[in-house]
Amino acid sequence: MLEQLLIFTRGGLILWTCKELGNALKGSPIDTLIRSCLLEERSGAASYNYDAPGAASYTLKWTFHNELGLVFVAVYQRILHLLYVDELLEMVKREFSEIYDPKRVEYFDFDETFRQLRKEAEARAEELRKVKPMGNDGRKQQVVKKGSGGFDGGNKKNKSDAKEADGDDGKGRKLENGHSNGNHNVVGEGNRGMGLANGKENARSNNGAFDVSKLQKLKSKGVKKTTDTSVVVSKGSKADPKKKVTKKNRVWDDSPKDAKLDFTDPVEENGNENIQVMAADQGESMMDKEEIISSDSEEDEEDEEVGKDSKPDAKKKGWFSSMFQSIAGKANLEKADLEPALKALKDRLMTKNVAEEIAEKLCESVAASLEGKKQASFTRISSTVQAAMEEALVRILTPRRSIDILRDVHAAREQRKPYVVVFVGVNGVGKSTNLAKVAYWLLQHKVSVMMAACDTFRSGAVEQLRTHARRLQIPIFEKGYEKDPAVVAKEAIQEATRNGSDVVLVDTAGRMQDNEPLMRALSKLIYLNNPDLVLFVGEALVGNDAVDQLSKFNQKLADLSTSPNPRLIDGILLTKFDTIDDKVGAALSMVYISGSPVMFVGCGQSYTDLKKLNVKAIIKTLLK
Amino acid sequence: MEGIEQWKTEAQQWLQQGIEYAHQIPPTQLYAAVAVLLFTTLLLLTIRLLKRTKSNTIVLSGLSGSGKTVLFYQLRDGSSHQGTVTSMEPNEGTFLLHSESAKQKGNIKPVHVVDVPGHSRLRPKLDEFLPQAAGIVFVVDALEFLPNLSAVTEYLYDILTKASVVKRKLPVLICCNKTDKVTAHTKEFIRKQLEKEIEKLRVSRSGVSDADIANDYTLGIPGEVFSFSQCINKVTIGEASGLTGEISQVEEFIRAHVK
Ligand SMILES: Nc1nc2c(ncn2[C@@H]2O[C@H](COP(=O)(O)OP(=O)(O)OP(=O)(O)O)[C@@H](O)[C@H]2O)c(=O)[nH]1
Ligand SMILES: [Mg+2]
Repeated sequence: MLEQLLIFTRGGLILWTCKELGNALKGSPIDTLIRSCLLEERSGAASYNYDAPGAASYTLKWTFHNELGLVFVAVYQRILHLLYVDELLEMVKREFSEIYDPKRVEYFDFDETFRQLRKEAEARAEELRKVKPMGNDGRKQQVVKKGSGGFDGGNKKNKSDAKEADGDDGKGRKLENGHSNGNHNVVGEGNRGMGLANGKENARSNNGAFDVSKLQKLKSKGVKKTTDTSVVVSKGSKADPKKKVTKKNRVWDDSPKDAKLDFTDPVEENGNENIQVMAADQGESMMDKEEIISSDSEEDEEDEEVGKDSKPDAKKKGWFSSMFQSIAGKANLEKADLEPALKALKDRLMTKNVAEEIAEKLCESVAASLEGKKQASFTRISSTVQAAMEEALVRILTPRRSIDILRDVHAAREQRKPYVVVFVGVNGVGKSTNLAKVAYWLLQHKVSVMMAACDTFRSGAVEQLRTHARRLQIPIFEKGYEKDPAVVAKEAIQEATRNGSDVVLVDTAGRMQDNEPLMRALSKLIYLNNPDLVLFVGEALVGNDAVDQLSKFNQKLADLSTSPNPRLIDGILLTKFDTIDDKVGAALSMVYISGSPVMFVGCGQSYTDLKKLNVKAIIKTLLK
Repeated sequence: MEGIEQWKTEAQQWLQQGIEYAHQIPPTQLYAAVAVLLFTTLLLLTIRLLKRTKSNTIVLSGLSGSGKTVLFYQLRDGSSHQGTVTSMEPNEGTFLLHSESAKQKGNIKPVHVVDVPGHSRLRPKLDEFLPQAAGIVFVVDALEFLPNLSAVTEYLYDILTKASVVKRKLPVLICCNKTDKVTAHTKEFIRKQLEKEIEKLRVSRSGVSDADIANDYTLGIPGEVFSFSQCINKVTIGEASGLTGEISQVEEFIRAHVK
């Protein structure tokens, strides 16, 4: 059963809900959907799962009408695997956009239309279900023939089917026919709707993939022989390779790890050499320096780039037609119009080292937000797409939570508690070095800092941290190796409370995201000490691996935690930012996948080389 | 180089021709044309100036879920219709306030109201509207006030330290919403808590690091405990219930600044 179906404006006003369904939704699935999915540039996904407090767990599906600025959301119990929801949403969208008037806010007359649409959709789903177990071509051909035979055929079929179905269903189908117009082709229509849904689902989510694959099989078996459903067939076959591609993508682990391991250790040593002894003052940390971008030159560059980009585009399309289109403003943007521009944009993002999966999802989300929209006059599609992408990027990279660490430190100080930061990450990304940089920055703000050497795993780790502590002249808490890091951290925090340190920076052992025992240990450390900030240290060099690292870290922290609401990664420290030139994609990938902001950027070998992320500059670079 | 020379001579010729042509026109016509030209430019300029000084834009801001959209529709239609969900885009409209349109008193100026979503990812939108604003209504959820205290304060602090607010001395109404519920906090309580929290923020943000956070101005008077009365712009506090339509204080605020 459908739990609820809502129609609301992007501004947030509910225009219509189904009162008949009348189920009060538990929790706030709609708000959660908007906040954590639609506004996080994940609207390209096929569905969203929401677990309400209590037992209910919902699946939400949605569709946009971008030109009118409307959102359609359907909510149903997850266990039900409703097959007709996508189709129903599309139908509701089509019907509702006919009667929509921006000045009107109430649509009680839509109740009746909806009742019919729903019955229609349910009937169709029922039909598909019945067809499925039979599975033989003969039967299906029969259905199709009847369907293409037009109105009468449809009716006949309904009569014959009604015998098998219970009374209610029969009624539903009759109603459907009453509503439809003469050339209504039941099977064709149904499949088209499903086909669309299929492509979408295959590309992204495994939710309900079960149902979809079944449907797909069904389709390729059944509809092949008809002529008027060739669209569907081609769509179905198109969906297949897509599926394969995503599968390939999922095998992250096999991808080469950018020779990272060989690279980092020397860097760390270098770092130690370069930092002079008695480095207690190397000047202001770059965290506090206003970044001055030579905006003029950059802008010039950008313009040039745009010029370059546009040329081949324009040539392909033919000078005149593109010119005409740009002046007249094209009616409504369609997926096919957007495709080339999106493809180009995706490639551009990928050359900037954005993980492929992320680039793909972003483009889908941008497509979802543009499809059906009126294009403004005097604009090219590529620039419309680019503008939409820029907006999306601004949204993603704008921190969701406060990244004002100093304030939180002050707040903790007031409560006479040390502010605890745990640095986590894979091996050799520069955790200790950057921990020292953060310490240096905090010292400059007259915050007393203590280090806790909880890397009791890698030999030399404690010594390395001790060197930093000596140079910065701050206390370090260490218990040697072979100790449980969680306990060491705990003792360190107790010590800090005793001696009145404001901040405890906890260094942990680097670990690969797949190393279960070590991840379990980390989860324990975090659970036991409940730090104020879990900082993920990641290399700006990583490409596709960024997704795997962060998602697995978060996943493992959630899975292996013994507490009901586990702590996840709160923020990101991006290291080696000075070595990547314009390949700044890792920043985007990491923020997107974790939903946490980049709080620091390490950009060099000295203690002062710690910066804030310059969101504007990143976006500029990404889209260049 | 040659090309440029050629252009120059050509241009000179045209100029000559132009002058000759001008000589042929009777001087009265010429003067009239010049006068018309001057007049129109002046007119355009004054219109622009007037538009600038007499903005009619009121910006509704505040955290997500504080009730801005409900308030927006109350102001416009006198009803919150069938409820709201989290906004993904600003709501904008130029209208007579609903309570006034009933009276029809002749020449009241319509208000341009903008409801900027509170979701932190959409906050950059606020900067688009502030430069043309005549006043800001900062909506606070008086029901769920304490759990959100630090987030509310941070947002308010950011607004109160923006150049577009301080420089233009934009009036701010802190609107404690949802007072229809008995458990809602009073506006006095909310004011005190906000002042206390801002004081903390001020300490941690000023002095230490100006470049860290993109605040344009610092708040209050150094050495004194912060209170809203220290702000250069006028900050007032009021109560409302968007859901039940008790929004008279908001309407008064709007009418005080959009005339
Ligand atoms: N009790 C009560 N509830 C209210 C009042 N005003 C708003 N609400 C409720 O608060 C919730 C959020 O209201 P919205 O107006 O959508 O919030 P918003 O400020 O626009 O939120 P964003 O769009 O996310 O920024 C809704 O469920 C309203 O019913 C009020 O005066 N009293
Ligand atoms: Mg809203």
